[in-house]
Amino acid sequence: MRQGSKLAWLLALVLFAAACSGGGEGVEGEGLEDGGGGGTEAGAAGTEASGGTGGGTLVAAISSQPDQLDPHKTTAYASFQVLENVYDTLVVPNTDLEFEPSLATEWATSDDNLTWTFTLRDDVTFHDGSTFDSADVAYSFNRIISQELANAFRFASVKEIRTPDPQTVEIELTEPTPNLLANIGGFKGMAIIPEGIAGPVSGGDGGGGSEAASPSPGGSGADINLANEAVGTGPFALESVAADGITLSAFQDYWGEGPNVDGVEFRFISEPTTALTELQTGNVHWTDNIPPQRITELANNDEVTLETIPSVDYWYWATNFNREPFGNPKVREALSYAIDREAITQAAKFDAATVNQTAIPETSFWSTDYSPYSHDPERAQQLLEEAGVSNLSMGLMVTDEFPETVTAAEVIASQLGEVGINVEIQSETFATWLDRQGKGDFDAFMLGWLGNLDPFGYYHSQHLCEGSNNYQGYCNEEVDKLLQQAATQTDQDQRKQLYDEAVKLIVDDNSYMYLYNPDVAQAWKPGLSGYTIRPDKAINFEQVELPQ
Amino acid sequence: MAGYLARRGLQAVGVLLGVSVLVFAIIHLVPGDPVRLALGTRFDQETYEALRQRAGLDQPLVLQYFDWIGRALTGDLGVSFRSGRTVMSMIVERLPATLSLAAAAIVVALLIALPLGTLSAVRQGSKLDYAATTFSQAGISIPDFWMGILLILFFSLQLDLLPPSGYVSVLESPWGWFTHLLMPAVTVGVVSGSILTRFVRSSVLESLGEDFTRTARSKGLRERRVIRRHVLRNALVPVVTVTGLQLAYLLSGVVVVEAVFAWPGLGRLALDAVLARDYPVLQGAVLLFALFFLLVNLTVDVLYAFLDPRIRY
Repeated sequence: MRQGSKLAWLLALVLFAAACSGGGEGVEGEGLEDGGGGGTEAGAAGTEASGGTGGGTLVAAISSQPDQLDPHKTTAYASFQVLENVYDTLVVPNTDLEFEPSLATEWATSDDNLTWTFTLRDDVTFHDGSTFDSADVAYSFNRIISQELANAFRFASVKEIRTPDPQTVEIELTEPTPNLLANIGGFKGMAIIPEGIAGPVSGGDGGGGSEAASPSPGGSGADINLANEAVGTGPFALESVAADGITLSAFQDYWGEGPNVDGVEFRFISEPTTALTELQTGNVHWTDNIPPQRITELANNDEVTLETIPSVDYWYWATNFNREPFGNPKVREALSYAIDREAITQAAKFDAATVNQTAIPETSFWSTDYSPYSHDPERAQQLLEEAGVSNLSMGLMVTDEFPETVTAAEVIASQLGEVGINVEIQSETFATWLDRQGKGDFDAFMLGWLGNLDPFGYYHSQHLCEGSNNYQGYCNEEVDKLLQQAATQTDQDQRKQLYDEAVKLIVDDNSYMYLYNPDVAQAWKPGLSGYTIRPDKAINFEQVELPQ
Repeated sequence: MAGYLARRGLQAVGVLLGVSVLVFAIIHLVPGDPVRLALGTRFDQETYEALRQRAGLDQPLVLQYFDWIGRALTGDLGVSFRSGRTVMSMIVERLPATLSLAAAAIVVALLIALPLGTLSAVRQGSKLDYAATTFSQAGISIPDFWMGILLILFFSLQLDLLPPSGYVSVLESPWGWFTHLLMPAVTVGVVSGSILTRFVRSSVLESLGEDFTRTARSKGLRERRVIRRHVLRNALVPVVTVTGLQLAYLLSGVVVVEAVFAWPGLGRLALDAVLARDYPVLQGAVLLFALFFLLVNLTVDVLYAFLDPRIRY
């Protein structure tokens, strides 16, 4: 049997690989013990009491892996899906996006609107057992400010954070900041972490902070690494992190009601068909990995409960004012009349979006009722003639990171083609896209802004002449004046009026050409209760109960 | 043999150093800035500068390279820009899943290719030959993600036999490991098996036409013995080469299949690193893939000597 020995050698190679596999496993055995593979048993866990609160483990399929879990550093939505359940903020938006107490029970502003005083809860414990007080708030905010972390801009008007006693935090401002609550509680990027947990930070008067140097190799130091560990005050504590999922366990000393389940297992499933099959076969209880084209079908499927709700996000396209002929308002107006927003929205999101010619969805208090443009190719051609522009060729930069921009661009291109404008669709990876946007190397681009709650976030840095996100190069001094006034106006109605005026100018000038507000679409197992779908896409499992 | 292995080992170090320079250069020349990407659309110049400095990206490229390679030589592949975790821990975490899938897929591929390729060569022109050729053509042509989704829809959604996705460690549950592995391994294995089938078939056909085969037959050996002892043994050498290449390819991750089955393999890690311009992770991953290729090639070369006694090192 010589042939047998040859095959044996081939198999040996395979076995060598398999042996390595076993070896590698041992290294991470600890991490996997609790976290890995729970998916297979989830269906059973859902119906059987397994200790703890006896509520079973909720399995949620999310479409991508969080880049890291440090709430002050990450900017990824996937991270916040997890962190929403682990951390708390001083205040929190309710389902109508109005701010409610969370770690702070009440707050007051001084007469000059320059000092905000927050009273804190006195019954809050961190996941590591330490007690929450005002020092933790000051530490968390000063960490973001002094280390210039991703959300430092939200503290632009903060002069000082004081802690007169353990239950009181005073925030002193350089100018009135009506959107302060949105800035410090709009999402879990402003989470409160225990004092000192991420190394020392300076008290806000510069000095860099010593942790700034620690992400260098091997330098994790004595502190815990918030990138893959977490100590919050939320309903769930981080239990384990693996390459295919993250497991949370119910925090018994949670200050609020709940949680009602023993834990939450987030699984990363990027392919929607797979995620939906997992949901239908009962291995997964909840998912938001739902392609818009499947919404109608799923709404009629008894095996899943599907809900949709308009989100706070918006998608738009914009031209480069510094490149001719886009500096000409008539050309931009022509572009705005040439496109059919309904058709673009339908192509990009099927029925899962609402056309809007401004940024803020109509469900919001801050929405501006203004839609001057219709699909009018003749008007567009006329405007182009008046501008003396013919045979216009332009690039439209989109990114496969957000496939809906590619789809929408195809529709925009064909509609502009009808008025004689030749559009070259430039599909880039997001890294290259951002690079080109930053350098102003584009004729036009399409993208969205996600997760804004206050009109400041929707309009300020995008349309101010010197705005940090004004890549299109728009500048209208009247808009500047209105935006600056609105930023410090503390009377809600007057503030809304200022924004309404600014928005009308922005839309008339076509600084952005607004397209639509997409829906949030999420599906779960029928019978799952205590979960509310939210316009800001925050995923909160605090009150969830699994189906019996 | 020992001298040969030592020489090959030294060569490997040289190749890896070359690869490291190439990878480093190419990655940094590709447009796209990891810090800008980390900040997303919400851009702020001061934050940007601070983060660049923190990541060491404000240093000259040559300095960055020597800094990195110096650490890499001591086994420290650095820290991911994106996750803040060590590159080594991110790779080690995903290695078992990738090794499981690559090994299982190669087993599936060989189980398909060796019998099918041999039979279709021995019965060249028969219905079986046509069926085998059609199968391998289809296996190469059908997109793997599509096949994966069909498998999921049939075996998970319709029959509810297999879990649709996920990975379970073999240490935790051998049965769970096997059931989760089955569909991804078949998806990848059919593609690799189809490619291998064609090689086995042509290699066996070639051997069948050789003088030694005619000699074996003319001295009156039974056909079965001719095939086993003479044809197959000679036909296996090129097949081992291609199998090795396939294995090395599978070890560097199968991104699409990993995505379909939510398989936590190295392909996804590398892809995410490319998209996020996470230089340390990408450099570490590519270096590892190069190492896989070198190891597999070395193993293949050693195997030659056992398969063909004329080859001596």
